[in-house]
Amino acid sequence: MTLVPGSTRPVITALIDPATVEAIAGETWIALVGDDEVIVPAPGDLPADTLSAWVDITGPWTGSVVLTTGRQTAADLTRALLREAAPELLDHEDVADAFGEIANVVGGNVKAALPGPSTLGLPEVGQAPAVRDPDDVCRLDVLWRGRPLVVSIQGTLPPLPTPHEHPYPNGASL
Amino acid sequence: MTLTATGFDWVRQLVHRESAIVLSPGKEYLVEARLLPIARSMGLSDVGRLVDSVRTRPSSEATRRIVEALTTNETSWFRDGDPFTALPSTVLPSLLATRGPTERLRIWSAACSSGQEAYTIAMLLEDALPGASTRVAITATDISREMVERTRAGRFSQLEVNRGLPAAMLVRHFTRAGNEWQVSPDLRRMVTASECNLAAPLPRMGPFDVVYLRNVLIYFDLPTKQAILRRVRALMRPDGWLFLGAAETTLGVDDTWERVVVGRSSAYRPLKGA
Amino acid sequence: MRALVIDDSRAMRRIVSATLEGFGYETRPAGHGQEALDVLQEGWTPDLCTIDWNMPVMDGLQFVSVVRANPAWRALTLVMVTSESEQGQIVRALAAGAHEYVIKPFTPDALRDKLALLGMLPQGVAL
Repeated sequence: MTLVPGSTRPVITALIDPATVEAIAGETWIALVGDDEVIVPAPGDLPADTLSAWVDITGPWTGSVVLTTGRQTAADLTRALLREAAPELLDHEDVADAFGEIANVVGGNVKAALPGPSTLGLPEVGQAPAVRDPDDVCRLDVLWRGRPLVVSIQGTLPPLPTPHEHPYPNGASL
Repeated sequence: MTLTATGFDWVRQLVHRESAIVLSPGKEYLVEARLLPIARSMGLSDVGRLVDSVRTRPSSEATRRIVEALTTNETSWFRDGDPFTALPSTVLPSLLATRGPTERLRIWSAACSSGQEAYTIAMLLEDALPGASTRVAITATDISREMVERTRAGRFSQLEVNRGLPAAMLVRHFTRAGNEWQVSPDLRRMVTASECNLAAPLPRMGPFDVVYLRNVLIYFDLPTKQAILRRVRALMRPDGWLFLGAAETTLGVDDTWERVVVGRSSAYRPLKGA
Repeated sequence: MRALVIDDSRAMRRIVSATLEGFGYETRPAGHGQEALDVLQEGWTPDLCTIDWNMPVMDGLQFVSVVRANPAWRALTLVMVTSESEQGQIVRALAAGAHEYVIKPFTPDALRDKLALLGMLPQGVAL
């Protein structure tokens, strides 16, 4: 029985600890959203209508840093971020841009805490990319102003097959 | 929330009186968060108790720490610039000219808080003096055990190092650790941190060539200021240098010091024969 | 004093511009390095450029390299404002010619402190 080459690919939980992710998100909120704007680590139920913003990290570990929250919360976050510079009426572009920038800030700092060198992609906004490998996820659930928000650091690659699951053990084909 | 409305009001008035900064209603969470470490360092379980304690038994040290925790708008790295840049430009050359080649230079950061002042000094000396970690000893003291431990650890958050610390010095003297930045082993070797209450008789230390006593005296009454300056002076070399905070002076407090202009700030040196 | 605020995020351009205007700067935005070069080539010469790293078309590092290679723009002060925060990245940016580096997330105080270090705070800004 041979091991599949490269079967030891690090998963995110071995590379970054939840306390670091919490510190990154916490500092982002204090600095950009407001110094008394705390995020409280706590589980919460995301509403049906959510918006996600994410950035891709490519390097020794490859995946995405995904922020997800309710659409209204994303709009409120935009207003808080922009402060006096916020327009009276926020359009989708304003929210996508602001939420995307928050993902950029959180993602950049997550990247810097991982083994490198890695590159950071430009922010994307929409429906979150699906989790490919449940073992390659680091998830932080928080409440901001009582509303749920999720930070998910998730690997892009599907799980590697374990050695004994090799489909053609004798090299035979169907 | 352990802070009562009257407690918050008291804090609000204190801060406004000491710093002219206004804490608006809605900032109660900020006060709770920022004062909790002070409460804990005094063995109190929460901020409500801290405020009660300081209201019933006024303490200059506690007052200073409360005001600082709520009004820290200033960077703690290279604060006010000149008192630190004076080290390589003026103070160090002067000391090196009069001290022997193997004599250790001793510097004291009194009221060191989380250590940013002490490490500012260490960075400047490391860059200015070859083999600084063997030639210079920096003593960092604070009344708070928690602050002393933080200084010993030499670990700072990204928000902290983002404030007033030149990027070139950050990459030269720190290493990233998770989301934080760790001071180099050479720098840590230069700094020894310990607890010390300035308002009480001081432990045997020094004698110091340079003392940084910045933004501490302002919170004490005149007799205590005078006592502190006397005690500090007793631990200094006769040709030593004392740096106070930007708005502080020995004038009207203690006439045994000579004021020396250093850049846009001042240093105080023991008057000969005083 | 004038500042060119370069960032692909409109929100960030608004935040940085508002902060700098609070310090007394007149500001102009640019969405990436090439747009910023266009502004400079038009003849609008800022005293300060704040520069994001990751942007489409031309990123911040390339912009810094181009500016530093041009003697006509020698007097420009270049400050990175970016979430790129590895030690190596900061070293790269400084080596390419950036004068200072602000890590995102930053507070207005952080930007103010860095400008003070550079002597780029207009007179009268309270410290």
